[in-house]
Amino acid sequence: MVNTKRIFLLVGMMIALLTTQCTAASQPTATVKAALEEQTPTSAPITATPAVSLVDGLGRTVELAAPAQRIVSLAPSNTEILFELGAGSQVIARDDFSDYPEEVKALPSITTNLSDINIEQIVMLKPDLVLATEINTPEQVKALEDVHITVFYLPNPVNLEGLYENLETVAELTGKQDIAEKMIPSLRNRIQTVEDRLKDVETSPVVYVELDGTDPAKPWTTGPGTFQALIIDMAGGKNAGDEMSSEWAQISQEELIVKNPDFMLVDAVWGTTLEQVSQRPGWQVMKAVQNKQVVPMDFNLFSRPTPRLVDAVEMLAKLLHPEVFN
Amino acid sequence: MLSVAVGSVSIPLRNLVQILAALPNLGNLPIDLQPLATILFALRIPRTVLVALTGAALAGSGASYQGLFRNPLADPYLIGVASGAGLGAVIAMTLHWSYSFWGLMAIPLAAFVGAGITVLAVYQLARVGNAVPTTNLILAGVTISAFTTALTSLLMITSSDEMVRAFTWLLGGSTLSGWRPVIAMLPYIVVGLGIQLAMGHALNVLQFGEEQAQQLGLSVQQIRLTVVAAASLTTAAAVSFAGIIGFVGLVVPHLVRMVWGADYRRLIPLAILNGASFLLVADIAARVVLSPQELPVGIVTALGGVPFFLWVLRRTRQQFF
Repeated sequence: MVNTKRIFLLVGMMIALLTTQCTAASQPTATVKAALEEQTPTSAPITATPAVSLVDGLGRTVELAAPAQRIVSLAPSNTEILFELGAGSQVIARDDFSDYPEEVKALPSITTNLSDINIEQIVMLKPDLVLATEINTPEQVKALEDVHITVFYLPNPVNLEGLYENLETVAELTGKQDIAEKMIPSLRNRIQTVEDRLKDVETSPVVYVELDGTDPAKPWTTGPGTFQALIIDMAGGKNAGDEMSSEWAQISQEELIVKNPDFMLVDAVWGTTLEQVSQRPGWQVMKAVQNKQVVPMDFNLFSRPTPRLVDAVEMLAKLLHPEVFN
Repeated sequence: MLSVAVGSVSIPLRNLVQILAALPNLGNLPIDLQPLATILFALRIPRTVLVALTGAALAGSGASYQGLFRNPLADPYLIGVASGAGLGAVIAMTLHWSYSFWGLMAIPLAAFVGAGITVLAVYQLARVGNAVPTTNLILAGVTISAFTTALTSLLMITSSDEMVRAFTWLLGGSTLSGWRPVIAMLPYIVVGLGIQLAMGHALNVLQFGEEQAQQLGLSVQQIRLTVVAAASLTTAAAVSFAGIIGFVGLVVPHLVRMVWGADYRRLIPLAILNGASFLLVADIAARVVLSPQELPVGIVTALGGVPFFLWVLRRTRQQFF
């Protein structure tokens, strides 16, 4: 009996030894590395003036010989921006969470688990550009760099100007500058319209965004510095979580009652209803519950740095100040 | 071989052989084999080595701790290495280093330093005069681990923009791919494991009990210090670059003991070898089971290791009756 176990574990040892033998024999030398570099097209040193040369959010200078035609998007916001700019046909793969517009779901997904990306598959796809953003880690960018793949890291905008800059950047990377030149002024106009209508409004309703209400005594809400906070501000409202000390924070129910929000935004996907909220002990005193202003919304519009942020501003402004939007 | 051949992208065996045969001059490879070669050398092989080293480090240290503490529940994370490394890494992430070689290296280095400081703190806390009783070490280790873990969670919540990065790191799996982490952790693991290998005889004597060992001429204090230092160094290096992978350090030494007996002069080297192969097998399974999705290795080691361990336990039990 023990013998079979010994044999099994001996085999185990041998696997280990074999593998180490294998790896010892195949240590990459300098010539091998040089050969790999030489062969992969994306890392060929660009001797002519590159068509695109931009500095990304990590301070890296990224150069493309021509607008990217084989793009892998590592974040849903990137995918949305690419498709909005009409570069959808240039995208060859996406991450698991990309879901807008509908046609992106047909693209292959290259995430392995939650936020890990499948570098091997990306290598096989031979992309000429991988578009990353703050939801990806610098380590992932480095890992892609190490296998000679061009990566561009799009930083998160802090306001709409930053968003417009990102749109221009992606337009340049994909050769869609003409579309961006029409889109950005149009977005600006829409925001200007909202601002004009809100000019003389004096009230600022308190808006409570519920990210997670599993524990009604300490629900998760959005703090300052988030896209949601920005949208609420631009729509003429006040964020109930604006005194929180981090971007996502648990607010105590007592604090929330003191803030007495006029509107409560819940994630349409989660399906929280007015009835459920009314049944939470102590929540009936809030104006939002009494006035039946528990409003389900598509939280993707509020959390992804894409042109749809402008949609969110318009939607929320109409909700908060219906009197000036008729 | 298996670990190198397996992954989410299937490399047919003849291509594998072709690529390896072309080794001295990879420039000659046909163009469609280029990406496969990249995958092989830049990703698979370093990963294999990393996983093997980590498994070896964890199992070896686990065996040493089990010998030192004379406790079958001892694992390499007992005196705070893992939690300290986690805290160090998360602190470094909140400092937002620039994107550069040292900026990225800062995370594992901070993890390493964090682990070291934690072990030192545990050691000092457990000290009674000049002696460091084993029970105290365990108690201090558990307490400080809880403290550092809580601190880490607090940091993750208050700097929620780094939450994804911290979470990925803590879940385990190599976040820095390529040869760099392997080269970085190699010296520490080699030195650490080397010292532990030399402690085999001393650990054997220690099994008689600390007082007995002292009377037999062993300098128990020094042995304790050396083993703790060496095992912590090894584990810290492994954790800093490969994340926190549980179960290996606890179970592999037991498996080895069941089959080959508890002579630490043999146990430690065998644990090292078996740890390496155990983790390699787990890593292969993690890549293959739900392909193309990849499971975190820690999940596979626990899910797969437990039934295997129970099976071996039952079989050895039957021998004694």
